[in-house]
Amino acid sequence: MAGDALSGIKVVELATMVSGPYCGKLLADMGADVIKVEPPEGDSSRQCGPFPKSGPCPEHSALFLYNNTSKRGVTLNLDKAEGLDVFKRLLRWADVLIDNHPPQCLGNLGLSWEAMHKLNPALVYTSITPYGRTGPRADVKGDELAIMHAAGLGNLLPTRSVDVSRAPVKMGGYAVGYHGGVTAALATLATLLGRMKTGRGRLIDISLQEVILALVRVNVAGTRYHGTRWSRVPDRPPAMGRMKTSDGYIVVGAIENHHFRALIELMGNPEWAAAAGWDSLAYRVHHLMDVAPMMDEWMLQQRKDDVHHKGAKMGIAMGPINSAKDVVTNKQYAARGYFVEVEHPEAGKHRYAGWPYKMSATPAQVRRPAPLLGQHNREVYCDSLGYSLEELERLQHLGAV
Amino acid sequence: MENNVLPLQGVRVVDFSWVWAGPYSAMLLAALGAEVIKVEGHKRTDLMRHIVVWPLPDAAPQEVPPNQGMAFNSVNMSKKSVTLDLTKLEGVQLAKQLAVMSDIVVDNLRPGSMVRLGLGYEELRQIRPDIIVVSSSSRGQKGPEKDYAGYATIHHAIGGGAYITGYADDAPCHSLGDTDIMNATTTAYAALAALYHRMQTGEGQFIDYSQCEGVSSFIGDLLLGYEMNSQIPERMGNAHPKYAPHNVYQCWGVDRWLALEVHSDEEFATLTGVIGKPELAEDPRFASMASRKKNESELDQVIEEWTRARDRDWMVNEFCQAGLAAAPSRDARDLYADPHLRARHAFVTVEHPEVGELELVGVPWKMSDCEMAVERAPLLGEHNDYVLRELLGLSQAEVADLRRNEVIM
Repeated sequence: MAGDALSGIKVVELATMVSGPYCGKLLADMGADVIKVEPPEGDSSRQCGPFPKSGPCPEHSALFLYNNTSKRGVTLNLDKAEGLDVFKRLLRWADVLIDNHPPQCLGNLGLSWEAMHKLNPALVYTSITPYGRTGPRADVKGDELAIMHAAGLGNLLPTRSVDVSRAPVKMGGYAVGYHGGVTAALATLATLLGRMKTGRGRLIDISLQEVILALVRVNVAGTRYHGTRWSRVPDRPPAMGRMKTSDGYIVVGAIENHHFRALIELMGNPEWAAAAGWDSLAYRVHHLMDVAPMMDEWMLQQRKDDVHHKGAKMGIAMGPINSAKDVVTNKQYAARGYFVEVEHPEAGKHRYAGWPYKMSATPAQVRRPAPLLGQHNREVYCDSLGYSLEELERLQHLGAV
Repeated sequence: MENNVLPLQGVRVVDFSWVWAGPYSAMLLAALGAEVIKVEGHKRTDLMRHIVVWPLPDAAPQEVPPNQGMAFNSVNMSKKSVTLDLTKLEGVQLAKQLAVMSDIVVDNLRPGSMVRLGLGYEELRQIRPDIIVVSSSSRGQKGPEKDYAGYATIHHAIGGGAYITGYADDAPCHSLGDTDIMNATTTAYAALAALYHRMQTGEGQFIDYSQCEGVSSFIGDLLLGYEMNSQIPERMGNAHPKYAPHNVYQCWGVDRWLALEVHSDEEFATLTGVIGKPELAEDPRFASMASRKKNESELDQVIEEWTRARDRDWMVNEFCQAGLAAAPSRDARDLYADPHLRARHAFVTVEHPEVGELELVGVPWKMSDCEMAVERAPLLGEHNDYVLRELLGLSQAEVADLRRNEVIM
């Protein structure tokens, strides 16, 4: 029986850029009815690229198009009293509100968590903020760069740096936003499951700093209790890990004895490997650097995809460092049908990244492309919320919609 | 009904996974209130029980006793542990009985391993039609590369995350174990979607999860961008395509850094005030977003000249008080010392019988009226009696037989 895992769940998304919208997308692609509420000028991600060659256009932003699939979109001006009234009606309709504005933003409009809870006791309010809603830093600003470093992961990057005098870096792309989005989606869904028993909503307080802190949980504990080194510069120069090939880079993880044995075979059993010791982990740890130049020299002669397939078939854990182009042409991804084709009325037909989970009964799917700005105003306000056409016109006239 | 009940109370999960990605997904379900039973063979325990560092391929994985590995203790909290030797028929039969008494089965073994053990989805659903099975693997259960092995660093590389991470003028950089933690969170989300569906319809299902694809879904905007404009996104260090200043600056001392990001002209004017150079806001080189981006390296030099001579935490405080987004680049010690994380109880304290008191990172959400159940990870086989006697209903004599036959520890 095919179906939608989350059909029947009603979500209002008052969110911009990545974290809140990705949370909404995850729910929408599983079948939830997600209404994205944008200010009259639109989600700011519409201004961010990447854009097609034709140049910037709010309906052509890949960032917006990817993170807002399967949603309906409305515009609403919360600075107008009438707009706020409409928003309250949305909150009474909804099971979930996703919000990634600063903690006091809705409170200042008279919509504190307590007020919302009174308005709709079953509402789950998922709040995503840089540092959470409580604590001394609750009102401090923070975005991708600041949070990545505030939470510890940035300080460990770039891994295998050779130079401690160079600055630590963030992870590429919107890693904080995406991590925040999936964490929020998990907590939201769990709360909805719990709500089946209690009928009561909750406030979910997601701190992006804590989301990223969770990623380095083992590094944090290892440093404190095992005395392992916390540094982006390794104890000794790397041999394996990232290696350079003739056409790029590959990551090699020949950790266990049988991996390393296979790696020696892959390299054609060079003379240096004839010594008996290489079959011992302890020996390798202390002697790997003696042979690193030979290994590097060998790897430089290889093409990354060739060595990947040969090595992986011999049981060695390894993988090429793929660019966006390599990812979209990856044969394994194609065999699994990872990319999905989506046709958008303005941006046209393109292949979008899909989902890492293949669900046998309720596959995720893009049920509609990202909404144009205000595309579903009439459908949502009139059909879902019950405003008459005259009322909608009045709201539009007032600048609330 | 009381609202302080954990959301997944009453849900049971059997966890056949090991290392990081599988175990942490089951730990998240445990923290949400599910009863999670981790199954290990006593001769094939989770590697993380006794390894110090992972996964840094050329570091020394020194051994510790099996209950003391910090990776294990960080990603298996709130679970129960049973040992069952799955190379023995009796062990597999008991595992199967346990699985069909459960709602969700999690594994991250090589594709096909659970089927070969007789614990595959098709086998389990014969007995328990509404079971949910989540198999997380490197490349997925099907396709030409399904048998390839991988670790977090490798998935980050294949999925496209490593290529865009690092300095613009240097090599790409793979992640650490964080990619496993990320995949675990996404896996747990998919498992709960399946559970939600089952509660509505009674239907179970199989979830085939690819950890490489998990990375790619986090750069979906860049992949779509490439589909649209054929331009490969490259590494940018700490820079942003539009905003400047947007970087990490050296502070006074050794390896001390702060991150600072400015998103508007107003914020830039504030910044020039804090660093005592208000004239910069009027300087044509820096007056607009576009000109700042164009003259970014010059601007970075001006800022770093100021930061290099000053204390990191003092500067961050000045910036934040003025309303800017700034943060120290924190290491482990800074994190434990952060008063904000402390005030929010981001760390949980547990008493470990072999190691003593541990302060570990908790779960990344807070819920109103609901304390998360984060308890220490189980000792190996700690709940053998509970699982075998109470859940599976074996007699004391039967358990003794199992022990004699080395099916359990």
